[in-house]
Amino acid sequence: MSIDSPSRDQTHSPGDGPHDSPEKVDGRERLGVWLFIGADVVTVGALLFTYLYLRAVDTAGHWMNMWGYQGSLHTYQYWANAAANGTLKNPTLIHVGTVSAGLQWLVAAITVLSALLLWVGEKGLRANKNAKSFSATAVVAALLPVVGIIFTAVLLKDLPQIFVSINDSNTMSYTTYDSAMMALLSSTIFHLVILTFLGLGLSIRAARGVVSGDRWYQVRLVRMFWVWVALSSVVATLITTTITSTH
Amino acid sequence: MTTTLEHATTMAQPKGGGLARHQNFATAIVAGVVLAWVGWFLGRHLFWNGSDNWSDQVTILTLLGWMLGFWIGIGAFNAPFQWLLGRDNTRADNLYYAGDKQGRMRYWKFTTDHKVVGVQYIIVTMGLLAVGGILAMAIRTELITPGTHFVNQQVYNSFIAIHGMVMILALIVAVAGPWGNFVMPIMIGARDMAFPRLNALSLWTLVSAATVLVGTLAVGGLPVGWVVLGTIANQAGPGMDFFAVAIVIFTVSTTVASVNLITTVITMRTRGMTLDRLPIFVWGTIITAALALYAFPFFFVAEANQIFDRTASTSFYVAAGGGTSWLQANLFWLMGHPEVYVILIPAVAALFEISSTMARKPVFSYRTAVGAMVVLAGLSAVVWAHHMFTAGWAPSLSGPFMVTTELISIPTGIFFLVLVGTLWRGNVWMKLPTVWMFGFIFNFIVGGVTGIYLSDVPLDEQLHGTMFVTAHFHYIFVGSVLFGAIAALAYWFPKVSGRYLNEFLGRLSFWLVFSGVQLTFGAMFLSGLKGMPRRDASYSFAFEHTNFISTIGAYMIMSGMLVLLGAVITSWRSGEPSGPNPWRANTLEWQVPTPPPLENFDVLPVITEDPYHFDETTVNA
Ligand SMILES: [Cu+2]
Repeated sequence: MSIDSPSRDQTHSPGDGPHDSPEKVDGRERLGVWLFIGADVVTVGALLFTYLYLRAVDTAGHWMNMWGYQGSLHTYQYWANAAANGTLKNPTLIHVGTVSAGLQWLVAAITVLSALLLWVGEKGLRANKNAKSFSATAVVAALLPVVGIIFTAVLLKDLPQIFVSINDSNTMSYTTYDSAMMALLSSTIFHLVILTFLGLGLSIRAARGVVSGDRWYQVRLVRMFWVWVALSSVVATLITTTITSTH
Repeated sequence: MTTTLEHATTMAQPKGGGLARHQNFATAIVAGVVLAWVGWFLGRHLFWNGSDNWSDQVTILTLLGWMLGFWIGIGAFNAPFQWLLGRDNTRADNLYYAGDKQGRMRYWKFTTDHKVVGVQYIIVTMGLLAVGGILAMAIRTELITPGTHFVNQQVYNSFIAIHGMVMILALIVAVAGPWGNFVMPIMIGARDMAFPRLNALSLWTLVSAATVLVGTLAVGGLPVGWVVLGTIANQAGPGMDFFAVAIVIFTVSTTVASVNLITTVITMRTRGMTLDRLPIFVWGTIITAALALYAFPFFFVAEANQIFDRTASTSFYVAAGGGTSWLQANLFWLMGHPEVYVILIPAVAALFEISSTMARKPVFSYRTAVGAMVVLAGLSAVVWAHHMFTAGWAPSLSGPFMVTTELISIPTGIFFLVLVGTLWRGNVWMKLPTVWMFGFIFNFIVGGVTGIYLSDVPLDEQLHGTMFVTAHFHYIFVGSVLFGAIAALAYWFPKVSGRYLNEFLGRLSFWLVFSGVQLTFGAMFLSGLKGMPRRDASYSFAFEHTNFISTIGAYMIMSGMLVLLGAVITSWRSGEPSGPNPWRANTLEWQVPTPPPLENFDVLPVITEDPYHFDETTVNA
């Protein structure tokens, strides 16, 4: 490999400050964020694959139906005692309904709203160079996902548990629909927690002047990921609210 | 008086590092153990112990505590929380994190210098190979004669599972870990990786995942085989919780590493390092990273589903609740086949590099070679169901999957031709890396051709589940990838240590391992053809002789690996000095001093042609 004499801007000795211009670092970090988004696309895709696959096979009709006794962990002991005493009645076919589509859309809408808010904040920061007002916008954008987390937790809590007693083995169980929903809703919470962390970080950094009208690159990085999370919540909700029945 | 002087020197330096000054591997273990205990304690009290998920809930919470504590203790969270609070690292902090002036201690810390991470990966790989190798010896010893000897079927199955997964981890990182980190950034003329902290994160996350995986052995093992088929794995003991958590953590490690490798190559190349001048090993690294980025999330979801089943009563893989093992099998193999090429491609790409240097010739049809790696990576995403031909999952898809699998032989055939084409009519310098490369070429043919047999649906129906399959993939993993990894070690060892890897011990090791592979897996093909099932601690007398030969061969492989370990240790301490460029190669890592200084280059080079123009056609060594 033949090597030419270096140009002036490429000389360097260790310890003489940051190597690369903010623009260069930003380009690097943008690619990094895109790649993380790529991995997340596959992850969310695999969760949706799980959902659609279990629905398609509908093994033993268990997508939304299960033979057992509807209850919760609190009623477990009651059913287990009945099973032990031999007084447990014949199981009934329990049909679980879909989880609230309205609440799912509400969470998606909140996520989209927070993404738009951050985007508007970013535009304002770049145009008006007002870090204080951006800091306020970012903290609101960060708190919206907290609301989303609460609603998602409500959805999780409402997934009906079913007491199943087969051959002396007692267990609580979920239908495959509820199983897939549990994984998707957990993924939603995980993503919203990250958004909260990132939003708070931007807000604090803007308040401290680390993020400012001239140093707004990180806002764009966070916004890219944020928009992806909003997009994925819309796509996932679209699937889980329209493709629900087995036929 | 000395104390005052030292004090004065310390004061003169910029003080960086903050909390990280007190963090290292030991604090990581302490914090990990403490938070594991907290998780265990909370789990026992928070969850209702009448539930049949209770022990799994406690185990999972304990392991998550371990992971969180390990991350906190090693310093992985320092930077994110500094970011949150708006206090970014200073230049002095970054120098401290890079391991500046910390001597050997930097190898035990969250050090960001890519060369330190590379060396750490060498150590981790050797540790994983040791654990997997000991289990392999236990397996072969059990199989030396018919009947069960010192382990029962359950323990045997655990050995299989942990041997399998530990070796997979070891081989995933065996080439891309040490050399993707140590030499790759220098090869492209960069001062470090694009995200040095993510680099340290990927390494230490791998360490914490590996401890959890090996920990499986301490909690009753994992008697369900390494593919942990959903429905069976559901019924396994706490070892399955360990396995699932290890995979979830491991996915974080590979994802972070892949993002870093790709970004580094795309954005950190020095002036003139155009894509068609990239050393071919760099191409291999980013193609592998892209494939890993795609593949491992499937494994993550497969094992996350398993964790939900075991702790939250869901029914993903629980047959009684409508779950199905086919779901797990699909997710597992959507990862599983690409993962084979995540393992294979770096080794092949390293051999392309080595073959060119050693033959003093350009890589034969460079562009075709890069294209073949890309095509192989792409194809690997659409072949996964060949692992399920006999599972009854989708019989109508067997034909299409057979075709896509057979197409694999085109890019892999090109790999073979590129290697041979590069060596062809070259005056090949027969040094240690070259020797192991020839071993690769031979074994890769055997492993590759038997793979075509297995892609054939009617033949697979006969051979599926037999030792033939085991022999096939061991010719690939041991005979090919391990040989490539050792060739890479022998080739780049002088850059790390400034010394040659001992030629005599290295060749002794080669002949032991090479003959051992032929005996072990050659005889195993015969066992399989006669119908010997895999995953069985005991077998019929019909398979007596071939198994005896396999076990003797395995002992030879182990002896060879011990000789290699001896060679690495003695050469590192007192091997023959090699100088900065012992192979007279043109790639950039050989143009910097040995060992390369922190940040590699005083002056970034400007590249004007590809690295395969050799002035002379022979090396008179
Ligand atoms: Cu495969």
